Amino acid sequence: MIYNKYIFLGLTLFSLTTNAQKANKLKPTKFVAVTIPEPSDICYSNKSNTFFIVSDTGVLYETDKDCKVLRKQAQDGTDFEAVYSDENFVYAVDESNRTIYKYDITSLKLIKYYSIPYDGARNKGYESFDFNKTTNKYALLTESNPVLLFELDSDFKITNQTDLSKIASDISSARFYDGFLWLLSDEDMMLLKLNPTTYEVITKWSLPVINPEGLAFDKDGNILISCDDMQRVYYFKNPEKK
Amino acid sequence: MKKNILLLLILISVNSSFSQFVISNGKSTLEISSNFSGFYNYRSLKSGEVDASKNRFKLRDAQLGINGRIGNDFELSLKMDFADMAANSINTVIDPENPGLLNANVTYKGLKFMDVEMGYGKLYYSRNSMIPIENSAYWQSAEITRGSVFSVRDVGVTFIKNFWKQRANAYLGAYSGLGELSLAGDNDPSGKLEYIGRMDVSYPSRYRYTEIDERHTPIPMIQFGIAGRYANKKLPVGTAFPTNATSSYGLKVIDGERYIYGLDVAFQYMGFSGQFEIHQMKSKPQNPNDALFQNYTLNQTNGYILSGGYIAQLNYYIKDWRTIVSARYEELDLNDLVVGNARKFSPAIGYKLKGSGAMVKFQYFNILREESIDTQSWKEQFRLGFQFQLK
Repeated sequence: MIYNKYIFLGLTLFSLTTNAQKANKLKPTKFVAVTIPEPSDICYSNKSNTFFIVSDTGVLYETDKDCKVLRKQAQDGTDFEAVYSDENFVYAVDESNRTIYKYDITSLKLIKYYSIPYDGARNKGYESFDFNKTTNKYALLTESNPVLLFELDSDFKITNQTDLSKIASDISSARFYDGFLWLLSDEDMMLLKLNPTTYEVITKWSLPVINPEGLAFDKDGNILISCDDMQRVYYFKNPEKK
Repeated sequence: MKKNILLLLILISVNSSFSQFVISNGKSTLEISSNFSGFYNYRSLKSGEVDASKNRFKLRDAQLGINGRIGNDFELSLKMDFADMAANSINTVIDPENPGLLNANVTYKGLKFMDVEMGYGKLYYSRNSMIPIENSAYWQSAEITRGSVFSVRDVGVTFIKNFWKQRANAYLGAYSGLGELSLAGDNDPSGKLEYIGRMDVSYPSRYRYTEIDERHTPIPMIQFGIAGRYANKKLPVGTAFPTNATSSYGLKVIDGERYIYGLDVAFQYMGFSGQFEIHQMKSKPQNPNDALFQNYTLNQTNGYILSGGYIAQLNYYIKDWRTIVSARYEELDLNDLVVGNARKFSPAIGYKLKGSGAMVKFQYFNILREESIDTQSWKEQFRLGFQFQLK
């Protein structure tokens, strides 16, 4: 029977693919459904003990620890995919227009915006943004094909770039935390911990969630991951904190 | 050795590339893309058949696409295929799956509570036909959804609404009803439109119109869809549809009333994915002597014929090997007044080359059974081509 051949071939192929070494799986401790449509990134603000979340619809939100919206700021015509905050400012990154918007953290008033050209598909632009205290440079990452990490100086001028395409299919968020670079991969559903200067992968964990897009660490080091399609934020214990 | 040389020649001579570039002024973006693809096709003819003209290389796609966005309010999509245009300028019959102009529409999002799409493009009716074939291991869609039984593209207006965190989508539209031939400008002499509606719901999250679970989704996802379309194109006496409007099956538009109902289900989990889709058409030709009645009397037919079929497809994405393995089974009954139906089995494999998005695609066609009003000169067909993507 011709069908038996196909079934046998399919089972053989499947069995051969299940031998790859698997990363440890992180299990969420809880999740919250958020009212923010398509939450594409999340970051923690040490100054106000709140979170900032950006949406594909071009809105910057500030939320409490349970992701309840406290206030918001819309930016017409944008597709925000990354967010980062420091003591004085919040930065929201528009993937399509390759622009970083800088807001005053107190008033959420737009201070300035920086255009950083990058070729490639509209939805393959900048996806992650954070500050590397080890090198004193900003890090701006593209999503995929290729995954590029651009190092930026304080004027947002590119000083260096590194191709990270080999470590994951895509990168959807990046955080420098506790002296390491932490990367989130949406397509691979993976959390990775890297050396912050050499970008070598130290450890990785698999995540049992659909479409992980945003990564944040709260004041205790717990991990929050926002999921675009599920419109949820998942909470995980930090596997590196005993 | 000869086989290896032939394979190498195929891979070199026909290839596909897909590259995209973005131009932005800070508020608006324009994305330019291109797509080239081709294959070698071999048919195993039935005994006594001599026409081997389908054993050939074919340039399937030579596409240029432009997608634009102006602020939050407008999006435009323009996609054309020069390979199809060249072929259609030589051939008299347009391949409905490769009509030349693929998309030319604008979507207005300024209403906020719903979007409005105006222009020419894919119809929101069949899930299978809404999936870009470039993302599939297949070279050709199932017969019922490739545009020869009912149209899959048309000119018109569609109202689009999504809700429940984008898990539910609703589409309602009005179109010329002549499919790709609507681009000629005029409607048929009836002057009537076709109306199409679709609603789908997915769980536990938004489910994009994809075929392959490349991410190996860790939580099972499922989507249900229902759709319907209606046209009443009773031609005035002495008039006729434009040439080729009815397609080779004579069903694409009919001289009379027609209802089509469709139902689809899709799931994905851990690399496995599957799609099932079923359609039924009720055609009520106004003329009792219409060829669709197959010479039966009005008393025998009750004034209508039924057509329809289904597709069942299973896929697995071998992530470590970047390989898609698919198998599809389809049945098509063109006319319930004719005994029997057509059955086809078609597996396919797509191998993605690392880092470039390139893909080698192989599709095998096997005709298990034929309907007497739609016989073929072949039993098996093999189609192999190569893709090279730059993103």
